[in-house]
Amino acid sequence: MASKHKIIFQPEGKRGEFVEGTTILDAARDVGVDIEAICGGKLTCGKCQVIIEQGMENLSPVTDDEKRLLDRRKAGKNYRLACVTKFYGDVVVYVPEESRGGEQIILKEGVELSVAINPAVKKYYLELPKPHLKDDLGDFERVLAALREDYGIGDVEIDYEVLRKMPDVLRDSDWKVTVSIWNDKEIIDIQPGYKAEESYGLAVDIGTTTVVGYLTDLRTGKVMAVDSMMNPQVTYGEDVMSRITYAMQYEDGLEKLNQKIVDGLNKILENVCREAGISTEEVCEMTVVGNTGMHHIFLKINPQHIAIAPYVPALHCSHDVKARDLGLNITKGGYVHVLPIEAGWVGADNVAVLIATEPYNQEEMCLVIDIGTNGEIVLGNREKLVSCSAAAGPALEGAHIKHGMRAATGAIEKIRIDPETLEPEYKTIGNAPPRGICGSGIIDAAAELYRAGIVKKNGRFNLDLDSPRVREVDGTPEYVIAWADETSIGHDIVMTQKDIREIQLAKGAMCAGAHILMKELDVEHVDRVIVAGAFGNYIDKISALIIGLVPDVPVERIESVGNAAGVGARIALISREKREEANRIARNVEHIKLAVHPSFEKEFSMAMYFPHMDRKRYPSHEEVLKMRGAE
Amino acid sequence: MVDEEKRKDILERLKKGVVEFDEDMVREAAQEALDVGMDALDAIMNGLVAGMEEVGELFDKGEYFVPEVLMCADALYAGLDILKPHVKKEDIKVSGQVVIGVVEGDVHDIGKNLVKMMFEVAGFEVIDLGKDVPLEKFVEESLNTKADIVALSAMMTTTMLGMPKVIEMIREKNPNAKILIGGAPVSKESAEKWGADGWAPDATNAVKEAINMVKGLKKEVMGEE
Repeated sequence: MASKHKIIFQPEGKRGEFVEGTTILDAARDVGVDIEAICGGKLTCGKCQVIIEQGMENLSPVTDDEKRLLDRRKAGKNYRLACVTKFYGDVVVYVPEESRGGEQIILKEGVELSVAINPAVKKYYLELPKPHLKDDLGDFERVLAALREDYGIGDVEIDYEVLRKMPDVLRDSDWKVTVSIWNDKEIIDIQPGYKAEESYGLAVDIGTTTVVGYLTDLRTGKVMAVDSMMNPQVTYGEDVMSRITYAMQYEDGLEKLNQKIVDGLNKILENVCREAGISTEEVCEMTVVGNTGMHHIFLKINPQHIAIAPYVPALHCSHDVKARDLGLNITKGGYVHVLPIEAGWVGADNVAVLIATEPYNQEEMCLVIDIGTNGEIVLGNREKLVSCSAAAGPALEGAHIKHGMRAATGAIEKIRIDPETLEPEYKTIGNAPPRGICGSGIIDAAAELYRAGIVKKNGRFNLDLDSPRVREVDGTPEYVIAWADETSIGHDIVMTQKDIREIQLAKGAMCAGAHILMKELDVEHVDRVIVAGAFGNYIDKISALIIGLVPDVPVERIESVGNAAGVGARIALISREKREEANRIARNVEHIKLAVHPSFEKEFSMAMYFPHMDRKRYPSHEEVLKMRGAE
Repeated sequence: MVDEEKRKDILERLKKGVVEFDEDMVREAAQEALDVGMDALDAIMNGLVAGMEEVGELFDKGEYFVPEVLMCADALYAGLDILKPHVKKEDIKVSGQVVIGVVEGDVHDIGKNLVKMMFEVAGFEVIDLGKDVPLEKFVEESLNTKADIVALSAMMTTTMLGMPKVIEMIREKNPNAKILIGGAPVSKESAEKWGADGWAPDATNAVKEAINMVKGLKKEVMGEE
């Protein structure tokens, strides 16, 4: 009987005893040390390098192949490849950071989050024995046998299109191939040669207005290229409702809307792949998030029923569909993973925001708001989460506002008004002459007009002021932010009484939603406000507090996390655990239907005041006004 | 009889309470009206309703917005609750019946509630079908009640598509009914296209429309004034 030898793995200190001639990799797997070995001991990847701290003399000699790989990876002294190095005496092995499996990625764009990388699609390199007359096993069974032997993977299925190309790929590549397996269940691609380290996915956030795609390296979680575009469906309506109406009114409406978004996504796919220097067929999976309307239209599911009470979606849970069934040009056998939906109007985009911000892991009472035409609000902590959707309308994005515009060159993005002189100071995007006011400027304008006493707490203009900027035109009060000669449009840029009313309706809906959720959870105040959505990055937090867009909270406890929905889509792409978490969370959030809530009417009307009709709910209001004054 | 000075004082407080949305003031004045033996209908019409008319004017001028009108309505209802049970049966001159509701698939009812209130203060008997009302129900109720007006509300473009169907169904079975449609997505064009008799684009305009209607109708109700 062969003698046993001790092996210790650092830095974890795990140890075990093995018969002589065991490879370091086998020993590591046995004691539960995770060493990355993508090629499965084929001496092709060279990823499994370890540093021998003690017992160098007890190892099998370095072969030419091993040396070649170690050199290619620029390995230092005492480095060996764990997959082929056998030990014949006691050894101490150090596993360097880069060779450890179960890698984590830290996301730091607005959201700071650590995610263990475990993508749904994994790649395996195989070198198959060539068949001959005495070994005439079928190609697929030959691949299965190799997967079982080299990687311990049990029976998996194979996509039909992959099956069709397999015989040729195997023979053209001299039986050295890389197979992609989805969710340990199905072979979705077979590529010639060693491709185990080239694994890509596309995460997509389909917004009503903007569509963003992130080409991501599935093995590192790093973004390789980003592309965005206007949602090409806008020609059929600016908001979700009008698009759903279009789908209801025309027989081929859904077909057309769906084709638009599919074409758009293929364009994004093409662009990011070109930028990264890969072909679109190398992308092996896609994740998609979007509001419920975008979700249904993308999947070509009739969206009618989510737009009509009781607002029931076709499904809540996540869904995997072959990309080719939707006409998307990633690898032929590849899947699209669509994230789950919480409730009628709280969609996969909100679920993505939740898995990116994890309020359900917090002790503190967090309010997560995504400001948009349809604002989604979630409140809670590790105990419980409640959500609602507030029909804020497009005012805060610049629509329905006389001089409202999108955030583009010449848009006034910041405004301050001197309460003494009532004279404004403003800043435009690109420092160009002003053309209009974008979302952040609109919120600033409302806050400053109110702070300067030009607009009263009930939203009404105060016309008893001695300033040429406060005037009445055709019976409608307005405030002149920029005189015609300062602008590039040749007329005064103003904020009218009607504009203020629109802002009141929008902010009232958001604010009422938040307060109703607070009532539901029986809390008087929130500890933290997380503002999601690209728009959130630009909102002035003090202005948001002054008008009462968010509940009373210390200004430093308001955080903007940018496009958290996009981050959530990327997380789902690289983590199967997070996908499960998303499904769990989506069903655990309790959805409150605002429009039928008994206090909605009352809360809504009170919340339309600046900052709120019930001033007790804004105890820091005076202090916030002072903070702005001291800026 | 209540002396004229007292009557004027109570009416003034009812009116003021509604305009300043002070529910307590309204309740107190309404109770006092009953205690001193004032005519309940007089208190309603020349106190509460007169106050609501002023609210309408303030709204027209832009002084008041949706929140104020909603709260004025609460104050008005607080007074009505006290006074209405004491209105003498023979004094009730119903100016007509209205069937009102939010169409199937829609649950947004703030606008509908405002319009409903305006009809009520104008002396209409309002049959409120609520929200998410099946389309056939509008037709049924308009026939059951011989309603003069059927008012339909929708806040979403998707549910608005139910309106032409209801209009067609009502026209077929009850050609004399006046049909009023309202809600954010509704336009003059759609109202004309579907053959509605009147329309209002949003809660605020619905209030204006309803207020105008009240003005016109109140003259008929109160005849002598």
